[in-house]
Amino acid sequence: MAYFGNNQQRGELQELYIDLNDLNFEKKKEAIKKVIAYMTVGKDVSQLFQSVIKCLEFQDIEMKKLIYLYIVNYSRQKPDDAIMVIQNFRKDVRKSENPLVRALAIRTFGCLRVPKLNEYLIEPLKDCIQDDDPYVRKTAVLCVPKVFEVSPELCPAILEQLQKLLEKESNALVLANLIQSMREIEVLYGKQLIILNPKIIQKLLLAVDECIEWGQIFILDYLATHDPVDSKQAETIIERSLPRLSHINPTVTFCAVKLILKYLDYLDNGDLVKNLCKKISPSIISLLSWNQPEIQYTILRNISLILQKFPILFENEVKVFFCSFNEPYYIKYEKLEIMVRICDSKNFLQVLNELKIYINEADPHFVRKTIKSIGKIAIMYDKALQEAVTILIEFAKNVQQANEPVQELFIQMQILYRKNRYLYKSNDSLKILFNILEYANEPEAKSACAWIVGEFAEFIPKSVEKMQEYIDHFLLEDRLVQLQLLTSGVKLYIKYPSLCSALIQQLINSAKDSFNPDVRDRTYIYWRLLSTDPELVKNLVCYQVKGSQQFQKDIRLWETKDLIIALENMGSISNLFHKLPNQLYKNIKVRNNHQKEAKIYKVDDKLESPSKEQQIKNDQQNQPPQQNQDLDLLNFEEPASNNNQSNNKNKIDVYDLI
Amino acid sequence: MISSLSFINQKGEILIYRVYKDDINRNEIIQFCAKMIATKENKESPIINIDQTSFIHISIKDIIILATTKIDVNVAMVLEFLYQLTKICKAYFQGNLDENCIRKSFVLIYEILDEVLDYGIPQIADANLLQKFIQEGGIQQETTINIERLRQLTYTLTGAISWRPAGLYYEKNEIYLDIIESVNLLISRKGTVLRSEVVGSIELRSKLTGMPECQIGMNDKLLMGKQARYNKQNSGITIDDMKFHACVGLPKFEKDRIITFIPPDGHFQLMSYRISENINIPFKVNAFYSEIRENKLEIRLKIKSIYDQNIYGTNIIVKIPVPKNSVNVISASSIGKAKHEVEEQSVIWRIKKLQGDVEISLNCEIQLGLTTREEVWSKPPLKIEFQIPMFTASGLRVRFLKVMEKSGYRTNKWIKYLTKGGEYQHRL
Repeated sequence: MAYFGNNQQRGELQELYIDLNDLNFEKKKEAIKKVIAYMTVGKDVSQLFQSVIKCLEFQDIEMKKLIYLYIVNYSRQKPDDAIMVIQNFRKDVRKSENPLVRALAIRTFGCLRVPKLNEYLIEPLKDCIQDDDPYVRKTAVLCVPKVFEVSPELCPAILEQLQKLLEKESNALVLANLIQSMREIEVLYGKQLIILNPKIIQKLLLAVDECIEWGQIFILDYLATHDPVDSKQAETIIERSLPRLSHINPTVTFCAVKLILKYLDYLDNGDLVKNLCKKISPSIISLLSWNQPEIQYTILRNISLILQKFPILFENEVKVFFCSFNEPYYIKYEKLEIMVRICDSKNFLQVLNELKIYINEADPHFVRKTIKSIGKIAIMYDKALQEAVTILIEFAKNVQQANEPVQELFIQMQILYRKNRYLYKSNDSLKILFNILEYANEPEAKSACAWIVGEFAEFIPKSVEKMQEYIDHFLLEDRLVQLQLLTSGVKLYIKYPSLCSALIQQLINSAKDSFNPDVRDRTYIYWRLLSTDPELVKNLVCYQVKGSQQFQKDIRLWETKDLIIALENMGSISNLFHKLPNQLYKNIKVRNNHQKEAKIYKVDDKLESPSKEQQIKNDQQNQPPQQNQDLDLLNFEEPASNNNQSNNKNKIDVYDLI
Repeated sequence: MISSLSFINQKGEILIYRVYKDDINRNEIIQFCAKMIATKENKESPIINIDQTSFIHISIKDIIILATTKIDVNVAMVLEFLYQLTKICKAYFQGNLDENCIRKSFVLIYEILDEVLDYGIPQIADANLLQKFIQEGGIQQETTINIERLRQLTYTLTGAISWRPAGLYYEKNEIYLDIIESVNLLISRKGTVLRSEVVGSIELRSKLTGMPECQIGMNDKLLMGKQARYNKQNSGITIDDMKFHACVGLPKFEKDRIITFIPPDGHFQLMSYRISENINIPFKVNAFYSEIRENKLEIRLKIKSIYDQNIYGTNIIVKIPVPKNSVNVISASSIGKAKHEVEEQSVIWRIKKLQGDVEISLNCEIQLGLTTREEVWSKPPLKIEFQIPMFTASGLRVRFLKVMEKSGYRTNKWIKYLTKGGEYQHRL
C-alpha cells in the first residue's frame, strides 16, 4: 500500500491499518477510537477509509457511530470509496428493527454531501418520513434540508411529502422539527414552502404545549414571522403563547415575548394591549437579571429595539439597568447605553446620581463611556446641565494623568459650554479645566481645549500664552485641531488685538502651509476678512447666544419603518448587531409587504402615528450633516441674522447619534 | 443552524471539533482561537463576527465551548443550548468538566454531540434521557436487542412527557423540596436601597413510583386571592415572575395559577422566581472610613442581623475593600476572624454563626504604603456572603405539596428553606 512509509506519521497510520484489519473486535474498536482522536486534532487519516468502513459489518452501536462520524468527515474527499458504504446504510435504514439504528443511518446518510450518492438516498428517505416511529420521523424530516442543499433537483417529491406531513403529523416534536426543516429549505430555495391555514396554526399551538423546549422555540420563532389575518386570530395566538412566558428556558420566554409584541399591533382592544404589556414586562426584567451573563447580554442588546417601540414596558424600571460592580464589562457597556435611552424628564437625576458612582471605576474605557453618557443626558435635559457640570468638574479635580476619560471630559465640557455659555461660572469649572489642559492628546479633545481657550479667553489668566504654545506646534496637529486653532486664534485676536498681532501673523503663516486644503481655505477667508472688515469677523466668530440653546437629539436606533422587521428578527445575530438581516446577510430577502404601520406604545397610551415620526426624520435628513458649526463661516455674505439661524440649525447634528 | 461545535482549552487547542454543516472549516476555528488567546480578558462580548462567520461562545472554567454559524440564528437559543450542553457533560462526568475528562471521554462526547444536534438544530438535550441510551462504553446489550424496550424509549423521547420514563418503582416514596433564595441588594453610599431583589429557586429531588401528578402551592398573593377563604391579613406575597421546568403544565398555571407537574426522576429545578417587593433585608450595615493621619486609614464597621432571634446565619463572609497600598492591617472584631487578603484587596471577615438580632462590630487600622503615583482609589462596594437556613428573605412559604398517583401510596415529604447572599453590596 502506498502509505507504508518511514516517517513518523506514516508509521502511526501503518499501525492503525494493521489494528483495523485485525480479527480481534476489541482491537479494531480501539483502533477506530484512535483514528477519531487523530481526526480531532486535525491529522489527516483519510487514507484509512477502506479499512475503517470494513468495520461496519459489526452491529456494535458505539463503534457504528464512530465510523459514521469518520465517514461524514471524509466522504467529500473520497466520494468513490463512500459509495461502498451505501449498501450498509440502506440495509440499516430498511432492515434494522432498531429505531435508533434506522435514525442514525438516515441522519448520517444525509451528511455525506456527495451529489451522486444522494440518488441512492431518496427512496430510503421517503420511507423514513413515513416510518412508524416518531424518533425516526423527526430525524428523517431534518435530513431533507441536508439533501436539498446538495441536490435540490432530486427533492420536489419529498418537498410535497413534507407539506402533506405538515397536515397530518400528530407528534409535537416531529412537527416542530418539520417546521424548522422547512424554514431552512425556504432559505435555500427562495420560495415559500409552509402554507399556513387556521387548522395548521391550531396544530402548531397545540404542539407548543407538548414538545421539548427547542421545538417550542422553532414554532414560536416561526409564528412570529406570520402576519395574523385579523385581530381575533392575533388574540388567539397571543393567548395560547402567554403561558410560555413562564418557561424556564430563557429563549422560550424571549420568543414568546417577541411573538406577543409583534402581534400587539394587530389587536383592536386597547385594554387588552395594556394588560398584556403588564404581563410581559416582568418576564423581560427577569431575563435581564439572568444568571448567565452571555444570555443577559443578548437580551440587553435587544432592549433598545423594544424600548423604541414599547417605551411603556420599562416605565419606572430604570433601576433594572444599574450596573453591578463585578459584572463583565460587555454587560456594563450595554446597560450604560440603555440608561441614556431610558432617561426622561422624570428620572434623569436618578440616572445622573448613578453615573456619578461609575465615574470612579477602574476601567478607563468604561469611565469614558460614563462621561459621554453624562454629557448626552445634560444635552437632552436643561435641568440636568448643572448637575452634570458638577459631576464632571468634581472628576476633573482628581485628574492626574492623560488617559481616556480625560479626553472625553474635554469633549463633553465643550459641548456643555456650547449649550449654555454661562456654565463657565459654575464650580470654578474653567479654572479647573485650564489646569489640566496639558492632558488632552486626542485630536477631538485638543480641539475642544482650543475652543475653550478661544471662547473664554477673557476669563482664563494665561490664554494668550496657552494659545502661543498650541500655535508653535500648529503643523504637527491633526486637521480637526488646526481648524479649531484657526478660529480660536482669530477670536483671541479680536479680543486682544494689540497683544495678539504677532500671534495671528504666526498662525496665518503656519496655517497657509497646512497640508489640508480645508485649513488653507479657511485661513485665506479669515485673512481677507480680517484685512477688509474686522467688525464683520467679530460678529461671525464671537457670536454669542443668550441662555441655553436647544439641541434636538435623536437617540432612536431604528428607522420607524424598519421596526416591524426588526421586531420579527429579535434575538437573531443581525439584530444583536443592530442591523436588519438583509444588511448583514446578502442572501436574505426581507419581506417588505407590510401594510401595517408600526405603532409606538407610550406610557400615556397615545399611539404615535408613524407618518408624523417620518416627518421629523425627513426634516432632519434635509439638514446638511456638518461636523463643526464654525464651518458655516462661508455664509458670511449675510452675517448676523442668517448666521444666527444656521448656527442653531447645524448644532442639531453636531453630536453623533449614539 | 449551528455549523460546528468545538471544545477549546485555554491554550487555544481544539479538544473536540464536530461539524454539522459544510460551510465552515477548521482554519476559521483556529483563527478564532488565536484571537481568543490574544485577548484573554473577559471584555469581549460572547459573540464575535469575523468575515461572515459568527462565533458564539461560553467559558466554563478553563474550557471554551464554541458554536459557529453563518446564518442569522437566534443567539439566545444557541447560548442556552451551550449551557445545557455543559450541564449534560457535567451529568456524565460527575459534576466536572475539565480538559482531562474531555480528553479521556472524547468518544462519549462525540456520541452526545451526535444526538443533541442534528444539522445544527438542537434536539433532545436532557441528561437524564440521554443517559438512557448513551453511556460510556456503550449501552447494555440487552437494551439494544429488546425491540419492545427500544420502542418504549423512542416514544418517551418524542412524547409529551419526555422527561419521565414509565415504570419507575421505589420501595419508599420520598420527595425533597429545597427553597433557595439569593438576595441581590445594592445600597447607596447614603444607605438608601437602590435595588433589592430576591431570585429564588425551588429544587426537587423525587423518588416516586409510577406517574405521579404533583401540585404545589405557595403563599402567592394572586393564587390566594382566588381562594376566598384567606382573609386580607394573610394575603400572601407578590411574586413578580415565575419560570418553570418543562414538566409544569403552563396553560393550567396561566389559567388558574396552580402549579401542577409530573416530576422527572431524581434531582431537578422545578422553578425559579423573582420578587422585588417587601424584601426582608437580613443585615444592616454601617461603615465609616476615616483617614486619621496621613497614610493611616481607620475603618469602623457595624453589622446588625435583623432576622428572628431563633434563626442563625452561617458562613458569613464580609469583604471590606481596602486600598491597594495597604500594608499593615490591624483589626479587632467582636466575633469571628478578620484578615487582610492582598489579592482580594480587602479585609475578609469570617463569621461562622450569627444569631438574629445581634450587633457585631469590626475596627481596622490600616497603614498605607507609599506609592510612586498617587492614584485615586476607586472604592469597590462592600460585599457580604451568607447563608441563613430556615429563612426566606421574600417571606415565601410553601403551603402544600400534594402527590397523587393512581395506586394511592403515601409519600414522605421534606422541605428546606435557605437564603443566600447573591450580589449583596453596599457602596462606600
